[in-house]
Order: sequence, then C-alpha cells, then structure tokens
Amino acid sequence: MTGFNANIVVGFLLLAPLTAGWLSLLINGSRWLHVINLISIGTLIGAEGFIARAVFSQGSVTAFADIVYVDALSSVILFIIGTVGLACSLYMRSYMDEQVARGVIAPKRLSLFFFLFHMFLLAMVLATVANSLGVQWVAIEGTTLATTFLIAFWRRRESLEAGWKYLILCSVGISLALFGVVLMYYSSLRVLGDVSSALNITQLQQVASQLDPHILKLAFVFLFVGYGTKVGLVPMHSWLPDAYTEAPAPVAAMLAGVLETVAVYAILRCRGIADQALSSDFTGGLLALFGLISFALAAFFILLQHNYKRLFAYSSIEHMGLAMVGFGVGGPLGTFGGLFHLINHAFAKSLAFFAAGNIHRRFRTVEIDQVRGLIAVLPWSALALLISGLALTALPPFALFASEMQIITALSSSGLPGEWSEPVTRLPVVLLLFCSVVAFAGFLYRITGMVWGPAPNDVAHGERWSMGHIPIILLGAVLAGFCFALPASLRRLIEMASTLLLSR
Amino acid sequence: MVTHESIVQAIALTLAHAIVLIALSPAIVGLIRKVKARLQCRQGAGIFQPYADLRKLFRKQPIVSTTTSWIFTATPYIVFASTMTAGLLVPVFASQMPLNFAGNIIAFVYLLALGTFFLILAGLDAGSSFGGMGSSRESIVASLTEPAMIMAIFAIALTAGSTNLSTIVHKTALLEGVVTDPSSHVMALAALFIVTLAETGRVPVDNPATHLELTMIHEAMVLEYSGRYLALLEWASGIKLLVFLTLIANVFVPWGIATSMAPAALSIGLAVYVIKVAGLAVLIGTIECMFAKLRLFRITDLLGVAFILALLALLFFYILRG
Amino acid sequence: MPWLTPHIATQIVDFSSAMLLLTCFGIVAQRRLSACVDLFALQSLFLAMTAALVAFLTGTPHIYIAAALTVVVKVIVIPRVLKGVIERLNVTRELVMKINVPASLLICGALVMIAFFITQPIIPFGHLLTRDSLAIALAIVLIGFFTMISRQKAVTQLIAFLVMENGLFLGATAATYGMPLIVELGVFFDVLVAALIAGIYTNRLQDAFDSVDTSRLTKLKE
Repeated sequence: MTGFNANIVVGFLLLAPLTAGWLSLLINGSRWLHVINLISIGTLIGAEGFIARAVFSQGSVTAFADIVYVDALSSVILFIIGTVGLACSLYMRSYMDEQVARGVIAPKRLSLFFFLFHMFLLAMVLATVANSLGVQWVAIEGTTLATTFLIAFWRRRESLEAGWKYLILCSVGISLALFGVVLMYYSSLRVLGDVSSALNITQLQQVASQLDPHILKLAFVFLFVGYGTKVGLVPMHSWLPDAYTEAPAPVAAMLAGVLETVAVYAILRCRGIADQALSSDFTGGLLALFGLISFALAAFFILLQHNYKRLFAYSSIEHMGLAMVGFGVGGPLGTFGGLFHLINHAFAKSLAFFAAGNIHRRFRTVEIDQVRGLIAVLPWSALALLISGLALTALPPFALFASEMQIITALSSSGLPGEWSEPVTRLPVVLLLFCSVVAFAGFLYRITGMVWGPAPNDVAHGERWSMGHIPIILLGAVLAGFCFALPASLRRLIEMASTLLLSR
Repeated sequence: MVTHESIVQAIALTLAHAIVLIALSPAIVGLIRKVKARLQCRQGAGIFQPYADLRKLFRKQPIVSTTTSWIFTATPYIVFASTMTAGLLVPVFASQMPLNFAGNIIAFVYLLALGTFFLILAGLDAGSSFGGMGSSRESIVASLTEPAMIMAIFAIALTAGSTNLSTIVHKTALLEGVVTDPSSHVMALAALFIVTLAETGRVPVDNPATHLELTMIHEAMVLEYSGRYLALLEWASGIKLLVFLTLIANVFVPWGIATSMAPAALSIGLAVYVIKVAGLAVLIGTIECMFAKLRLFRITDLLGVAFILALLALLFFYILRG
Repeated sequence: MPWLTPHIATQIVDFSSAMLLLTCFGIVAQRRLSACVDLFALQSLFLAMTAALVAFLTGTPHIYIAAALTVVVKVIVIPRVLKGVIERLNVTRELVMKINVPASLLICGALVMIAFFITQPIIPFGHLLTRDSLAIALAIVLIGFFTMISRQKAVTQLIAFLVMENGLFLGATAATYGMPLIVELGVFFDVLVAALIAGIYTNRLQDAFDSVDTSRLTKLKE
C-alpha cells in the first residue's frame, strides 16, 4: 500500500468514529443513531481489513508522516476492537431501544450515549495506532474520560459512586504512567537528540539497545503500574468490579473485552522497547508475578460473589492475569497463547455481558439467587450464558481452553522468568491450576444455578428474536470454532505479532 | 594588632550597632501599624507614634502589685538586656562586627529564650489568672518554635560552613549574587518567616492589638506592667521584632551589607538595611491584614508546618550535596 | 546576558521548583477549600514561570506555548471552575481529616525523601540544566497522590489530581525541555476535560448524596 493510500485508509479509520460521534449529538431519532453507529463500525472494520492486508505484505504501515504506525500487534488489537465493536453495536440495537421504551433514559440522552461511545472508540483506535508513546498516553486517558459518564449513565447512587471511583483511580494510575513516558523520553533524548520524534515507537525500537537500563527500569515500572491500573491487575483493580456492575451491558462488554486489551497492548509496546536494554527477565517477571497474583486473588473472589455482573468482572481480572502470565513467561508458545487468549477473552466476555444485560432487563435484579430457570424464561440468553460461562472457565470445546493450555504449558516448561523465582518452578503451575479449578467450581455452580431450576412466577417468559441476538449466535459459534480451527489469515497475523514481541 | 584606634573603632561600631537597633525598632513597629491602618482604609497613627508612647510611659509612675517578687521588677531589665545582646550578635549594617567572636547561633537562640523564660515567670508572678494563661500559651508557642528556628538556621549554617552569624552573612554576601542552595534556602526562609510571626506575637499566631484578654498570648503576660517597666517591655518586643527581621534580611538577602569598614560602605550598608527591614515590615503588615488569628490548637499545626519546612531545608542540603 | 551563567540559571530554576514544592505543602496543610484552589493557582503560576524560564534559557520556543497554556488553563480557567463548584455546593472546609495536619506533613516530608531516593540514579546522569527538578517533580506527584488518599471531599481529591499533573508537567519541562508539542497539547486537553468532568460529577454527587464527602460512597463493597 503506497503512502497515499495508507493515509486515506488510516484517515477513514480515525474519522469514522469522530464524525459518527459528532453527528450523533445532532441527531435525535433512535433509528438514525443506530444506522450511523453501524456505518461507522463497518467503515472501521473495512479500514482494518485493508490495513491488515498491507501488514501481511509489508510488515508495518506508517501514515501521516510517522504519526500513525501499525504493525502485526496493532492489527490484532484493531481486529478485536472492530469485531467486539460490531457485536456491541448489533446488541445495542435492541438493548437501547428497550431502555428508551421503558423510560429509563430520555431519548435525548441516547444521543449523548452514542457520542460518548464513539469518542470511546476513537480514543481506543488512536491508542492502538499512535506512533508516539505520548499520544498513546493521551488517548488512553481519553478513554477514561469518555467512559466515566458511560459508566454512570443510569445516574443511580451506586452508578455515580462507581463512576467517581473509576475516574479518580484510573486517572491517578494513568498519571503515574505519564511519569514513565517522561522518563522514557528523557532516556531517548540523550541518545536521539531530536525533540519531536524521540517518543516515536519506530525511533525507539531502532535505538532501544543504547538506552540507559536504570532509567528504563524505572520507566517500565511506572508504565506498568499506570497502565496496569487500566488492565485491572491486582492491587490496582478496586475500581473494576464496581464499574462493570453499574455500567450498561454493552458498555461493560466494551470495557471488559476491548479497553483492557488496549491497555495490555500499551504495556506490551513499552515492554518491547524496554526489553532491548534490560534483560527480558525483569519485565517478564514483573508481568508474570502480577498476573499470577491477579489470577489467584480473582479466583478466590469469584467464590464469594452473589452478583452476576460482579462475577464476570472478577473473571475479567482473572483472565487478564492469565494473559499477563503468558506474556511474562514468553517464548513462542506463551506469547501466542497470550495473544490468542486476549482475542478469546474479548469474545467470551462480551457474550457473557450480553447475556447479563438481557437477564437484567427481564429479571430487574443482579442477584444470582433471584435468577432461576433461565432456560425457560430466556432461552437464547440462557444459551449465551451457558456458552460464555463454560468458555470463561476454560472448558473444552471452547477456545479459551486452547489458549489457557498454551499458557500453562509454557509456564510449566520454562517456569517464571529467572530473577523472580528460585528453584520452585513447579509452584506457579500448581497455583495456577488450583486457582483455575477454584474459579471453575465457583463459576459453574452459579451459572448452572441460574440456568436451571424453577422459574419465578412474576417474570414474563419467552424471548423474542431481535437483532441483538445475532451477535450472541455468532460469538458462540466463533468461540466454539476457534478451539478447533483458526482461520489462516488470523493465525498468520497472530504469529507475526508474537514473532514481533519475541524478537525484541 | 589591638591598637588604641582599633579599640575606639570597635567601641564606636558596637555603640552604633546598639543605637541603630534601639532607635529603629519603635519606627518599625509604627510602620507595621501604619501599613495595617492604610490597608484597612483608616488614617492610622503616624509612624513615629511609638516614640511618643514610650516617652509617655517613661514619665509615668509604675504600679507594682504587693504579691509579686523580685522577678516582676527585674524582668523588664533582663528581657531588654537579653534582647539587646542577642541583637548585637546579628550583623546589621556591617558583616564583620567587633562582637563577632560571640555571634554564635546557639547563643542567639538561647539569649532570646532567656528573655522569654523570664517573661513567662513574670506573667505568673502577679498571681492573676490572665497572666498565668498567657504564660502557659507562650510556653507552648516557644517550645514549638525553638526546634524549627534552630533547624532552619542550621540549614543555612551548613551551607556557609559555620555557626557564626557574621561569618554566614559575610560569606554569602561575598558570593557575588549566587545563592548556592536555593531549594534549601527557600524552605529555611519559609520556616524562619513562620517562626518570626510566632515569636514576635504577630497575626496569625497572636494579635498584638487585641484588647480581649482571652485571646492574648504576649499581651497577657505584660498585663500587670505599667510605667517604665511597660516601656522597657514594649521596647524589648520591638527590638525582638527588629532583630528577627534583621536575621531574615541579612542571612537570606545580605547583598548591600558593608563587607569592609570604609565609611562609604558603612553608610550604604545602613541605608540598604533600613530599606530591607522596612520592606519586610510592610510585608508583615500586609500578611496581618490578610489572615485571621488562628485558634490556639491550630497554632500547633502552623508551627508543625514550620518544623517540617526546616527539616526539608536540612534534607535538601544533604541530598543536593551528594 | 553575561551574568546568566548556566550555574545561575540552574539556581533560578531550582528556586522556582522549590517554590512549587512549598505551595504543595501549603495545599496539604490547608483546611479551607478555597485556599486550596488559590494555592493551586499560585502553584500553576510558578510552574508557568519555570517553563518560560527554561524556554528562555534553552531557546526552545514551543515551551512558551506550553507555559502560556498553563497560565490560561490552570491559573484562570480551572480555578474559576473549581471556585464555582465550591460556591454552588456550599462546601468550605474539610471537616474531618483522616490524618491530621502535622502527621500528613511528616508523611509528605518522607515522600520527598523517597522521591529523591528513587531519582538518585538519574540525577548524576543528567547533563541538562535542571536535574534536581526531576526529583522535585516526582515528589509533587507523590504528594498529590497521598493527598488524594487522605482527603475525603471530592473537590480536594480533584485538586490533588491536578497537583499530580502539575508535578508531571514540571518533570517533563525540567528534565526533557517539555514533551513534543502534540503530546503537551493532548495532556492539557485531557486535564481540562478531566476537571470539567469532575466538576459536573460533583454536582451529580451533591444531588444524589446531598454531600460531596466521598467517605459516604460506601454502598459498593466486596
């Protein structure tokens, strides 16, 4: 793809959500809002397809005079953004309409919802394709700002509390990440000497081995802690359960599936640069350690949950922890497993939240104990819940089983990276398996309790087919399918990405 | 060489130093009052009114309670003498004064503390409850300002390498406009400024113009005094204020001070000194109008702030050195 | 200017950084919210002066833009927004502080020491004009972080966040002569939007809870 074409395609990528957002503010009719939404997501996916093709042939794409840089890793993330975005947009078609019909939100607020949604999309896409670490930081902070009001959309007391906690905790964490960016800039200035491009990933990758290891160590720690807050790693996770519980279901799906993935992407970029100056043991060990702790803690919290949305939130923390372990352990299996896990988790989590949204609409409660007999009341949503529940506990034949197996195999063969664990290499694997069994038990008990059993009488039975069910079917099929066969181009993309991560 | 001329010169300089302190302090007090009056949109009394007040007080007959001891009548003299002596240790218009050798920081702090101590005792001596209240409050304030003051001055002393005040001033003045440790000095200056406000009984620690006994700290201790005793105590508190202002002005901004004994340098030094101290007095007057007096248990917060700032001054010195 | 040797220039920038740290302590020691906002405006003013000074001394013109933006956004716009919020909500002071003033000041002193310790390996490497300012910048960030934890009023938490951003800007300016212009503009935009959002948020909090005391936000638990 020549430079001119690259500019056009990337321009579409960025302009689609931008114009859709501002248009949504001006338009009032709900049908038009949804149409604009779908058009912009479609444009997004189309642009991503073009970029992915260019990445296959060229390896990387730069546009707008080095402001935008897309390589295989970014393409994987863009793929996740596009697909989950499409699923959410289809789901929103029925979800938002019902909320407006019920009078929960005024029609005018629907425009605001879509505006914020598109700004959220724009910020995430910008964070993925930005070349400069600073612009990436601005975009990630932008996602925080865009989603605050989305989380507090229902304006209930609990929503406001969750939104405030989210705003403050994430902003604080991301400010620490800014300090890391400043340190990175400081170290790169001493080598490169040029002011405006010293933060560009392209430049940093070229000179990374000459950067000062002390400063890079400090910078990486700050960046990890800062962006790790966004990912939801323990102990910076306390905003996560509340935010996911209070947010509307499509927003929660986007947060869980996509936003965390983008934050992981940011960490991986910085790790790629830091690894060439430091030993990859340090960064890998940090990632694996925090990942393991998150996984263990989240598994235990899953046992205690009595609120199904919170259950899914802790499951997010757990799976992000697992992906971190995969990236931390490294090696071809671990890295591929980590990337694959990010994709699978995005799909499974969105499916789970779609089901949760439907259940909440019908049963009007988030308590697990009060939801019974789903299979009779909401058959499609029960199916979705069952599939996502089984997938999230990493049962075959769902794809999460494959990715989790890859990560565990990598962990057991190489152990935690050198600096952080002394001889007991078996212990992390044992811990991981034990906690996943614990999580499996808790999850399955809750989910089966919800799906089967006598249905309560005061709830209307039956579920009408609507556009919102299309993504449920598709995601379920994809989750089942990925366990057995990955589409060749996707597999090639992920392999290119993991090679990139390993070669640094 | 100790010659006849040098002894005469030394005595003359010391006398000049003392006279400047004694003569200038009522004017500084009057200046602060004038600035406050102007800021409050009043005319206010003239700058030289305190001189007239002192003259009036000296001519009146002192009345002494029969239940007091010798401390009561001795305290005004002790306070005046100790404050004057402490004042002689701080360079005023020349950085190398004859009484150099005795100009140690510790001596300075504890001479002032001696005066405070006797004032506290005198407040208790008359047996009135207001005096006792003032004394206990003053002892709280004094015990909290002492560590802050010493640490702040030590931070400066470490920079200059000596605890002798005139050595500190002389070395800083000769460094041709370079302050070697701005962060440390800024913190120490802030700490010393708060200590000044506390020690000299200015708002926000204590309101010198109050007539409500329950809000007094310093005034309550001198409540029983009259006549020449009161005159001496008022003058001594004025001199204490001037001495603190001199300390701040000459230790942190010493440029302009006379570093040699040439008459031209001395007169320039004197003029610059008067300008600096007047400027600080205007600043204090403005601050007094900007803030309200703190409640008593908030004063400990303020002095805690001063202590932390002084601690940081020391810390910055050590960290920035190595 | 012949008297402006690099040594003196370093001293002047260090002096401005020390004044910034001083205002930080002022904010921690304050109980009145409007005084906190004033101190924040003063701190931002010192920050703009430091940035302009660095721009002048190193001849990097784009820092002037950042300094001007600091004055407009952080000295004028944001304090006005905050003052409006305070007036509308009728909150004037922190009534109950989890950690009292002298103890929090001692902790802030310890945080300054920690900041110097952390940046110790960086300071000797710097050949730029203002190496100590990086340590002070990290100290301001940590102090802002601590203030956010130890205070309860939503407005004070917001001011603490803005103080953290100030510290980061100082770090960027002093250590690396500012970030690339795009990044600076992006950061300012983010800070402004964050302040506005938080201002709107405190209104909603007030409506829902009848107070902006975040210790009342306790309904969501494990």
